[in-house]
Amino acid sequence: MMLSSVIRNLFSKPATRPFPVAVRTAPDGYRGAVEFEEDVCIYCGACATRCPANAICVDRVAKSLDFDPFKCVQCGACAEACKKGCVQLQIDYQHPVAAHSTVTFNGALKPPEAP
Amino acid sequence: MAQRTVIPFGPQHPVLPEPIQLKLTLKDEIVEEALPHIGYVHRGVEKAAERMDYTQNVFLVERICGICSFIHALCYCQGLERLMGLEVPRRAAYLRVIWSELHRLQSHHLWLGLYADAFGFESLFMEFWRSREMLMDIFEKTAGSRVIISACCIGGVRRDISDQHLQETLETLKMLEAAFDKSSEVMLNDYTVKKRTVGKGILPADKAILLGAAGPVLRASGVEQDARQTGFAAYDELRVEPVVETAGDCYARAKVRIRECRQSLDLVRRAIAGLPDTDIAVRPKGRPNGRTISRVEQPRGELLYFLAANGTQKLDRLRVRTPTFANVAPLVHMLPGCEVADVPVIVLSIDPCISCTER
Repeated sequence: MMLSSVIRNLFSKPATRPFPVAVRTAPDGYRGAVEFEEDVCIYCGACATRCPANAICVDRVAKSLDFDPFKCVQCGACAEACKKGCVQLQIDYQHPVAAHSTVTFNGALKPPEAP
Repeated sequence: MAQRTVIPFGPQHPVLPEPIQLKLTLKDEIVEEALPHIGYVHRGVEKAAERMDYTQNVFLVERICGICSFIHALCYCQGLERLMGLEVPRRAAYLRVIWSELHRLQSHHLWLGLYADAFGFESLFMEFWRSREMLMDIFEKTAGSRVIISACCIGGVRRDISDQHLQETLETLKMLEAAFDKSSEVMLNDYTVKKRTVGKGILPADKAILLGAAGPVLRASGVEQDARQTGFAAYDELRVEPVVETAGDCYARAKVRIRECRQSLDLVRRAIAGLPDTDIAVRPKGRPNGRTISRVEQPRGELLYFLAANGTQKLDRLRVRTPTFANVAPLVHMLPGCEVADVPVIVLSIDPCISCTER
């Protein structure tokens, strides 16, 4: 009964992709890594209030935002809550890092430029 | 002289994807008694739900179970909508049906694969799981994630499915059905598969009712009961007839799930064809107050949420009763009398989801 499948599988390509050679891109609207645009952010804290994983901590007085990518569950509640549209979910997944740390956004710190 | 031996089956066992331990008392090769032990994956979700905002809980309850995440969120949202007096727009109700049925399809595909693996049919396992990837791709495209789709919210759904994506879904389902026809035929008619499943782990209808079985386990024993008959979401318009088999053995349970897959395919197509053009969500106003019980049909059976709210942002109590918990008692009844080699097949035939059970 499985014979037709076996013969078909012998002459067809594998269902999987050879990963480093063929990289799959996620479709539009995929909920990947969260990114903040600190130039637009007014540090209102709406995203921190809605976050179910407590991954965002906003200091409204000091105008700074701490984001813990390890707590983030990529639900997109922050992006929905943001009135300014400065929180976006990238199509790309969260990249691995060497050590557990939070990322602080306060307008002063710019991401280091690539060497 | 027959000797009695106690063998621990699980919590780590090649055939079980999740941790449940069964202490099997054997007389030679025959099981005399099975004693279940759970408590390996308790995460305290119910307590966590009391400490979080009621809107944040939607994302929490989805994580109770990865395989039917949308249906958990639907059950929770449905209960809160009743407490807050919200009328869900019809398009949202239909979209909820579409995602629920796609979840049922992928859950049954996952189970059929694992079940084939339980009696050592690796190639059939691969066939089912290859088909399941098509469903995961539909979730990724329509909802933005493959497993925890986070598409449900209080008052409706979080995102709409475009016409183009609906067409693509229908085309994918056509391919899925063609693959499913071939694989399910092997599952139902193959000599070796029948040899391992027919007449194993019989649960008569009266025992199924007495022990409180749920879902396909109950329906395979000939009891006509499906929570979708209550008409939640858009099931009031898209009528569902429960899939019933009468044998009550492992083969009947597989047959019920295979027929449910076909029913789900039909339901998704009907829901897409009759998708109304309205809003997709209403904004919740005020805070929930009062107590309610919400029931939905999961792939494994009836899921029940009890919600107690007190007019604040936090709930007083969230109680979850999952179908696997209901099916553990029938499982303990099925095992005595079977051979020890049939234990994995019988255990898997209830589709155990221990993460759901322990929350």
